[in-house]
Amino acid sequence: MVQKKVKTVYDVVCPFCGTLCDDLEVDVELSNQEVLEVRNGCQIGTKKYFSSNVSPHRFTKPMIRKDGELQEASWDEALDKAADILVKAKRPLLYGWSSTECEAQGKGVELAEILGGVLDNTASVCHGPTLLAKQDVGVPTSTLGEYKNRADTVIFWGCNPVHAHPRHLGRYSEFVRGYFKRDGRNDRTIIVVDPRYTQTAQIADMYVKVNPNEDYELLNAIRAVLRGVELDVEEVSGVSYEKIKELVEVLKAAKFGVIFFGMGLTQSIAKHRNIDTAICLTRELNDHTKFLITAMRGHYNVTGANTVFTWNTGFPYSIDFSRGYARYNPGEFSACEVLMRDEVDATLVMASDPASNFPQLPVKTMFKYPLIAIEPHKTPTSVNADVVLPPAIAGIECEGTAYRMDHVPIRLGKVKEAPNGCLTDFEIIEKLIEKVKEKKGE
Amino acid sequence: MSIENMTLLTGRTISQGVALEGGKTTKENVRAAAICMFDKEDFKKLDCIVGTPVKITTEFGEVTVYSTLTEEGPHPGIIFIPMGPWANQVVNPQTQATGTPTYKGMKAKVEVAKSAKVLGAVELISQLKEA
Repeated sequence: MVQKKVKTVYDVVCPFCGTLCDDLEVDVELSNQEVLEVRNGCQIGTKKYFSSNVSPHRFTKPMIRKDGELQEASWDEALDKAADILVKAKRPLLYGWSSTECEAQGKGVELAEILGGVLDNTASVCHGPTLLAKQDVGVPTSTLGEYKNRADTVIFWGCNPVHAHPRHLGRYSEFVRGYFKRDGRNDRTIIVVDPRYTQTAQIADMYVKVNPNEDYELLNAIRAVLRGVELDVEEVSGVSYEKIKELVEVLKAAKFGVIFFGMGLTQSIAKHRNIDTAICLTRELNDHTKFLITAMRGHYNVTGANTVFTWNTGFPYSIDFSRGYARYNPGEFSACEVLMRDEVDATLVMASDPASNFPQLPVKTMFKYPLIAIEPHKTPTSVNADVVLPPAIAGIECEGTAYRMDHVPIRLGKVKEAPNGCLTDFEIIEKLIEKVKEKKGE
Repeated sequence: MSIENMTLLTGRTISQGVALEGGKTTKENVRAAAICMFDKEDFKKLDCIVGTPVKITTEFGEVTVYSTLTEEGPHPGIIFIPMGPWANQVVNPQTQATGTPTYKGMKAKVEVAKSAKVLGAVELISQLKEA
């Protein structure tokens, strides 16, 4: 029997969700670069490492669609074809970016500017409204370490971290022992506001069942009661007046509170107005005690995508370069909006699967025009693409920087080699830029 | 049997997260995300066994998924489909000028569809290409 030679990599940063856990341990078989075991990760993060192994679901060579079928091609041929598509397009959409590292994102901005295209990241279908609200009213927020050490009252509003950010509760917000919260969970009051009695709600101290799409009304009722207004109603958004008054008393009694919120607020009717109001509630709670608010970001580096796009263009997402300079208007230039108006004539998807994640209307338009996927796995987007450029997976097969949900930048490591010497996202975009410039005669 | 005027919510589940990382073309992804979760009392009205395919119709489209009981109830009047290609056939694409589609809170009709086929992710989405 052949002896396995295994290396163990410690303090690995997990590239799945915005919690960016930094304590994983990964065992890699040296001979074939196979991930054998992952410790400390959640189920989803662990699966991401295992799915980096070579399998029928992973592309390891570039592909080009010929005669209706995806066929293997050389890197040069595939990059050339991709550059061709981009140069020929009048208004290409460059979408995704949140599941790769900051250096590649920066290159993406450069490519979009050269092409005069539309640049958007996945925030536009998740926390885009949060960014709009922050621009409207600002945001009193902090790093997760402060919450861990100080927060005694934690609200999860429209988010379900037991499912979506599995280790958030254990590392920062619920069970963890903090410097001033020595007794962990017993030192914290946990409140969940959600239409469903989620598994996060099932382990909370207080559950507030709000009607779907009526968060805005409830937030404003809480603000009114906090200001001492007597409401002439029996219930708001399905929540009894008594319960609202009880909740307000709990919030005022907090020494240090935090509101974590998710898609329940951003993807419901009223969108950014929900967040505006949640931020205003947080601000007003500071008349009584200390309160802060933080968005539960999904993709591990969507915060990085917003940050990198902002320092390059001034705007966090939904950016249009068609006039040669950056313009910003999510209601006009977001990926879904430009696709629904049938305004783009080619799409480059970086590290994302919009065919799965967009409503059917924008997907139909995306499929009408040439599609390039920079994607390691077979997904509904990549198998329908005209060119597939399979990268090394950032955070597993190449280094980079990612921003945690609280805007703390963390360096991603490399635990193994990519199969077949796949290029990194950064290298792919860099080469595309070279080819595009060449074709444009620049 | 059918029930009308349900409110459809979508969102992350841990099984759906594991399945999407494990392979979107796999049967695990179908098991994790091509499902609709019902409140126990609502499900009784459908008069079928758990796992029976159901057709979900909203004003934005229709999709067939497997039925299952919720572990996050009670939530009478609410049905839940994990985020992903199946849910996205019936969500509201309108963004209210924010860029973000309305993935939550659509009015939906549910019909038992015993002999209907639940498609895999690629099969389902590739239909949009042909259409």
